[in-house]
Amino acid sequence: MSRTSSRALIALTFILIAGGLLVLNLGGYLQAAEGLAVRPLAALQGWISQRVTAIQTLATSPADLATLRAENLRLAAEVAQLERELIALREQAAEAEVLAGLLGYARTRPENRYVAARVVGQDISPFIRSVWIDRGSDSGLQQGMPVVTERGLVGRVAEVYPTVARIQLITDPQSLVNVRLQTSRADGALHAQLNGELSVDAIDQSASVTPGELVLTSGLGGAFPSDIPVGQILTVRKRDYELFQEAVVQPSADFENLLVVLVITNFQPLTAPGP
Amino acid sequence: MGFVVGSVLMAFLAVLQSSLLNRFPFLSGTANLILLATVSWALTGRVAEAIVWAFFGGLCLDLLSGAPFGVSSMALVAAAYLASLTEGRFWEGHPLAPLGVMAVASLVFFAVTMAGVWVSGHPIDPALAMTHVVLPTTFLNVLLALPAAQLAGRVREAAFPPPVRMG
Repeated sequence: MSRTSSRALIALTFILIAGGLLVLNLGGYLQAAEGLAVRPLAALQGWISQRVTAIQTLATSPADLATLRAENLRLAAEVAQLERELIALREQAAEAEVLAGLLGYARTRPENRYVAARVVGQDISPFIRSVWIDRGSDSGLQQGMPVVTERGLVGRVAEVYPTVARIQLITDPQSLVNVRLQTSRADGALHAQLNGELSVDAIDQSASVTPGELVLTSGLGGAFPSDIPVGQILTVRKRDYELFQEAVVQPSADFENLLVVLVITNFQPLTAPGP
Repeated sequence: MGFVVGSVLMAFLAVLQSSLLNRFPFLSGTANLILLATVSWALTGRVAEAIVWAFFGGLCLDLLSGAPFGVSSMALVAAAYLASLTEGRFWEGHPLAPLGVMAVASLVFFAVTMAGVWVSGHPIDPALAMTHVVLPTTFLNVLLALPAAQLAGRVREAAFPPPVRMG
């Protein structure tokens, strides 16, 4: 057998093995094995991620500004918290006008329970937007749980292993979030492009949508709780000959600098995220 | 020995790719360390090792990704095999050969992974994928192809020196 054909045979063998693994995975037979294999990789990933973050922080902040930086962080967190409270209050007021009966239900809802998790890695595939966090089923996480930051919606748990989990971001092209525009009360579906750009489509033509309007989760479909801030309308595209309007959205959460996220653990989603 | 060391190296590179390199994207693409390593190693003539590295490295990539398990392995093995086809060609020794090989290998890698991701039900906009992922990543891979090939060549010389005939 010539050298070239021997190599071709080796390559073909490994491609076939990989294909077999792919089929087994799509059938869901490799979940346990993946859980075992991902554990050491995730531990190393977390260790490296911590060092990289520390180096990045060191490089971007002079030592004599450390105190100011800490104070700034505290104030920024406080402002973000106040902004969130303001959004929640505005939403409640708007709801009172349209759906006063539901306001009582909103007020009597039990407080969300959160698990804080550190982001330890990003998805390697450029076609999939997800991040890895350092909490898993050992911390009570389950597939489908919503993930937020103090600024707004981040995504939801797509895969869970004992010590780590993968979060499908709302900027992933496969993600779909049912949303409501705060002022116009119009419903729509938020989806993302491959470049991370978010847009809301299926907005009723009669709705008066304006740039700057807040976008909140509507809770329709049961995948996410309602009234979580998602972003703000940047531009609106309305054409008379189309059935619906479309709007580009600036996300509330800072996806470029996701360090810590909160997983809402007491919300039971009705649908699971895609693969 | 080369298989074991290479496989551990691939696992490390996969973790590095996820926790470090993906923080510095160019558009939506980043240089693919495992593709660089396996193609460069294949260009040194250690093709069987490169294919095993590609297989194992691909599995590590898929473990740290939402992509279907096995897709990156297929893509990387195909790319490594393709790189081995340069052996014996008249331009094999050309100093710029790694650039062309890396460009083709990157495109093959993306063709296979995009097909795999698409088959698994993940929507892909081909135009956006081309402008935001495929071309930027291919550009970065090509940019790093020469240093990677030189490094692989030196490691090969140090670890597997050519036999010397005595007398």
